[in-house]
Amino acid sequence: MQQPPDDSRDWVSASGIPLKSYYMAEDVPAAHQKVLDAAPGEAPFHRGSYPTGYRTKPWRIFQLSGFGKPEDENERIQFLLEQGETGFIMEHDRNTADHLYNVDHPEVLARREDVGLTGAVMQSVRDIDICMKDLPIGTSYGHAGGAVVQHAPFALAGYWTVAKQRGFDLSRLPGTGQSDFFLTYLGCVTKQQIPTDAGLRFNADIMEFCDEHLPRWVPVSIAGYNGADSGLNAPQELGALFANAVEYLEEIKRRGTMPIARAARACGGVSFRMSMDIFEEASKLRAARLMWTQLLSERYDVHDPKVSNLRIHCVTAGSRMTYQQPINNIVRGTLMGLAAALGGVQSLGVSGYDEALSIPSEHAHQMSVRIQQVLQEETNIAAVTDPLGGSYYVETLTAQLIERAWAFFDEIQEQGGFLAALDSGWMHQKAAENQHKEFMAQSDGTQKIIGVTDHTDDISPFEVDGFMGVDDAFDVALARLEEVKRTRHEKAAGSAMRELETVLRSDRNIMPAMMTALESEVTLGEVGDIYREAFGDWATPIQT
Amino acid sequence: MADTGKRILMAKTGLDGHWRGPTIVATALRDAGFEVIMIGMARSDEVLQAAIDEDVDLVGLNIGGHIDVALRAVELVQTECEGMPIFCGGVVPPHAKRRLEALGVEVFPPGSQLPDIVDSARRLTGIA
Repeated sequence: MQQPPDDSRDWVSASGIPLKSYYMAEDVPAAHQKVLDAAPGEAPFHRGSYPTGYRTKPWRIFQLSGFGKPEDENERIQFLLEQGETGFIMEHDRNTADHLYNVDHPEVLARREDVGLTGAVMQSVRDIDICMKDLPIGTSYGHAGGAVVQHAPFALAGYWTVAKQRGFDLSRLPGTGQSDFFLTYLGCVTKQQIPTDAGLRFNADIMEFCDEHLPRWVPVSIAGYNGADSGLNAPQELGALFANAVEYLEEIKRRGTMPIARAARACGGVSFRMSMDIFEEASKLRAARLMWTQLLSERYDVHDPKVSNLRIHCVTAGSRMTYQQPINNIVRGTLMGLAAALGGVQSLGVSGYDEALSIPSEHAHQMSVRIQQVLQEETNIAAVTDPLGGSYYVETLTAQLIERAWAFFDEIQEQGGFLAALDSGWMHQKAAENQHKEFMAQSDGTQKIIGVTDHTDDISPFEVDGFMGVDDAFDVALARLEEVKRTRHEKAAGSAMRELETVLRSDRNIMPAMMTALESEVTLGEVGDIYREAFGDWATPIQT
Repeated sequence: MADTGKRILMAKTGLDGHWRGPTIVATALRDAGFEVIMIGMARSDEVLQAAIDEDVDLVGLNIGGHIDVALRAVELVQTECEGMPIFCGGVVPPHAKRRLEALGVEVFPPGSQLPDIVDSARRLTGIA
């Protein structure tokens, strides 16, 4: 056979694991040989969560969505549900939500056109109520927003308050929050943020509150996605994610308020990024389930399969979506979605083909749903669980990822743990090193991206421009802010704010006071002012 | 690489915290011998003030939101610092790119390659 012209190059996985041109049984590391007999649904779960896989539990089609006014976001979510989405995500306007600013804050006023561009503006429970109009919150699976740690208590309390007002029993309400440290302190470092120790307290408070009042709710969801799309490679994403989980578990253990197994269950719904190296990414999900089982059993003596069975949401890598020749991104979304499906997921979001241009247009959103429907209904991949199981290559890669991921986990512990590694900027340094390497590889031709580094002549018949949402989000938000302050029960709002402030300065759980604050129509910016006063600012370790 | 003696201000016009793009660009510019002053998220008046205070030769803007917010900073700098070159990057859809280019701003959307950005900095600061 004729040798391919570049046979001399170093073939490696996306994270740099050297690859052979084929694998044999003896390549599978000895330690991993022992788990090859486990079936899907059996510990250590690398082969999947359930023996029947997608036959009985098709992955949830779960798309990030939101822009404009709350009613615009509601309309888009309704559209996605009509198209076949099987859960929904409420994105709050990043400008206001991430900083807990109302729209009349000087930093927002200076950027009023940005308001509503990346999520609906929700400054009070009235806005959240509009956004949730007619949404099937009792039967569907809702994501209340609150991706950034300091925003989560407000977003969750808002969602739950609306649910209560509609007569839903919180103890039966399904759904999820996020409160993600990777996003808040690594991926998207905002202008002002509470310090990491205050963030840890919030997340533990949310876990406790859900344990008592919302047992069907996923209180926090560690998003390795945000670490990976900031530059962490696959084993680093795994190692850092479990280092994050350990912080939550240690905090709960220190408090002694919840059995550790229930705490593990509470933080055992996580997300990973799916990028373009199909087999490494699919192997990563298999590795993740095994590592979680291992961590809980070895470190916390937790062996209950209901707990050690990690639940995984995946989102396809936004950073892999190209600005150039954007229609190609439909292919990328499909391949990354396939990787997730092969690795085994409970839910999936596929980035819009216009990801590098803007938030998704209605058409891009529809395509993200269609891609998943084609995968689920036309390819027959739902028929067999863990179709890659037993592949010499995939089992070897799974074992190699686990080994490298634990090594990174250990490095983080040597830094003093996950929070310390964020506070010092060590994690940012790791991410930045990889980013730099990747960009250099694109420039020197070793990493090819079709339409960007190669085959750049665009003869695509499609014109794609950025979707810019609506142009009245700011004006409406400002009017509604004034209205809520004018018409709310001022005495109740004032007393709720004082109570919140008192609770923040004590060691009591923040959530009951936050529920009262939302019920009393305290606004986002007012909560933010209380935080800023109580906690001060996180000392950002990076220069942006 | 040899010091170019040229100073570049880099700022983010929006409140979006993605730092990946500007950080990579700043590293490449420093490697190419530029002094880079990063001020993070800044309003248009803060961009102008920093450009004057730091006596820079080029202003780089990272744009993550609505084009009108970026245009305010561009127009203020162009009015108050006559002849100050500006380049920008970030999530800049084609319609926004055209408006910036009409004002003489060089635009590097996602997928731009670092050597091209460095070449542009050299050209805009008059050393190439």
